[in-house]
Amino acid sequence: MTFRVVVFVSLCVSIGVAWIIESGAADVFLEATRQDFQKIPLGIAGIENLGGSESPEARVKLGTRIEDVLKADVRRSLVFALVDLPSLGIKVGHLGAEPDPSFKQAAENGVSVIVWGQAGMKSGNKDVDLSMDGYVYDAGSNEVVGGKRYVGSTSVARLMAHRFADELVFRYTGEPGIARTKIAYVSELGTARELFVMDYDGYDPRQLTADGFLNLMPRWSPDRRFLVFTTYRNRNTQDIDMIELATGKRWTLVAQGGLNITPVLSPDGNSLAYSSSHEGNAELYRLDTKTKAVQRLTTHAAGDLSPSWSPSGRELVFTSDRSGGPQIFLMSADGSNVRRLTFEGDYNAAPAWSPRGNWIAYVCRTPKKEYKLCVITPDGQKRLQLTTGLGVDDSPSWSPDGRHLVFSSTVEGKSQIYMIDADGKDLERITFTGTHNSAPSWSPAS
Amino acid sequence: MKKIPVSYLPLILGVIVLGMPACSKKAVRSGGDMQASQDETAKGRGSKDGTGSSFPDTSFSRSDESNNLRGLDRNPSEERLGGHAGNAGSPVGAGHANAMVAKADSGAVARQLAEIRAEQVASVAAGLRDVFFAYDSFSVTDEGRHALAGDAEWARSNPNAQLKIEGHCDDRGTSAYNLVLGEKRAKAVRNYLVELGVAPTYLSVVSYGKERPFCTEHTESCYSQNRRGHLVVKTGK
Repeated sequence: MTFRVVVFVSLCVSIGVAWIIESGAADVFLEATRQDFQKIPLGIAGIENLGGSESPEARVKLGTRIEDVLKADVRRSLVFALVDLPSLGIKVGHLGAEPDPSFKQAAENGVSVIVWGQAGMKSGNKDVDLSMDGYVYDAGSNEVVGGKRYVGSTSVARLMAHRFADELVFRYTGEPGIARTKIAYVSELGTARELFVMDYDGYDPRQLTADGFLNLMPRWSPDRRFLVFTTYRNRNTQDIDMIELATGKRWTLVAQGGLNITPVLSPDGNSLAYSSSHEGNAELYRLDTKTKAVQRLTTHAAGDLSPSWSPSGRELVFTSDRSGGPQIFLMSADGSNVRRLTFEGDYNAAPAWSPRGNWIAYVCRTPKKEYKLCVITPDGQKRLQLTTGLGVDDSPSWSPDGRHLVFSSTVEGKSQIYMIDADGKDLERITFTGTHNSAPSWSPAS
Repeated sequence: MKKIPVSYLPLILGVIVLGMPACSKKAVRSGGDMQASQDETAKGRGSKDGTGSSFPDTSFSRSDESNNLRGLDRNPSEERLGGHAGNAGSPVGAGHANAMVAKADSGAVARQLAEIRAEQVASVAAGLRDVFFAYDSFSVTDEGRHALAGDAEWARSNPNAQLKIEGHCDDRGTSAYNLVLGEKRAKAVRNYLVELGVAPTYLSVVSYGKERPFCTEHTESCYSQNRRGHLVVKTGK
């Protein structure tokens, strides 16, 4: 389905499976993230407001809102480049289900795709009262290649745009898109910190816990059903809990005494890696989620924490202060083959392995003692600083398509959540309310 | 490259590849307690080793997953999108995350607040003093030792009191690493109290990292307030 070019040197093939297991190279996929990827020029010829039961003002808002959401989704996909159609003499608005004759000018102007549609209210049914039609015109073949018809309550207006955007990405790349993904995070309520989940664009925040104390650093299960996180039971112990999003039901996974933090499930969901100090100082452990057996992965007098799995699940990247200040280390998932990855600067922490395998994002302390986002390749050969300015950037988490990062930052004072492209472009703030929003975790795609 | 080295290369690399994990595994084991911890785990499934014995299956296979996008269609049929609550059936796009509910438990919040207040009152009454740390550091300073001498005296004259030492950090640095740093600070305070003759059984440590700051300004005077070992008379569990 997905077109993937697996990069590894042909020599490795002759060595066989052992090499693949030991090498991060098997995790590297080149797709639309590669430097020379050409975005597909796409124009939106309007999502028109049809008549309906609501007031004219409400109708105008509805159609505009869907169109704005769709535009933002298309821009963030990084698969398409948005084109201004009126400047090319292509008609926008007041279109039916058929392509306008002016669409023929798209091809000669380098526009590959035109999308348009209508949204309107249906009267009579209380539960299903909004419908949206979307059409996709392909300039190359000069025809409508398909469309979508969505119905639902007005509360899913944004979801209609998100879903249509993901269909476009799916059509042109074979990937599911990120417009319907979610971000779990921590938000301050009084002096408590509770778990929330919002849409990937910061809309529709929903509170998940109301414990009145600290719940920290949520991470998604690969099937998107659960979050694992650290909870302070009775304020005195830090345990690792799992919550089911659909029901709010909770289970305790780790309650060993001491600090039990930074839990993260493996890509196959069969292992939970986490840090615990129950045997003295913070060490990494691996809990088999089926047999419940625990394997200790690190043994060192220094602190080991913040594990993040490689996409294959064969390796872990983590933070350790075994060489003084915190630095980023790699090891095999059984705890063997530990090696240091970062050497620049005296404070590097909170690593996150890209779902494409080619980058590891982390927090790097600059010479001016600011905490910013950096990325480094798993072989340590390439390193980039993505953010600049004042304040503390923390908790980078990758989008499932590997094209974006979400993170928290105090660059504007209070801790808020931001999104940035993997190359450091298009910094976008996505939370605007509340005194403290932190520890974002981007859900897998569905 | 000449012919001979090329043909030897796979063999050489193969030896390295096969050799390295074995070496490093040995290095890990020589740390001492890996074997012990595994034995302990094997004996103590479930509650004894502190891991939950029953929780839902979290295993996941990418091949199991059906991409729930239906693709573009020349004659699209109606797709019903689910809302957030109270939808009958399982409409398209009503993903798990859409159906979630906030578990509002105001009782838990009120209980926490009452217990925190009780601890504060008891700690103020005891006249306990906190210990402050330098940036990036978990060493107890001379001033800190002076404060702890008074705290130790209180502890000795109140032999049934349980003391909790909270490790706190300033806003700089990552949340996760500050939890580890906060624990190091709390343990440094505990160890010094033990040196002063306080029985370890009456002392517990907890790290709040940078998650429960005493002030929130981005100034050095605020940062220094937040880098502390905070002593609390434990009133709850």
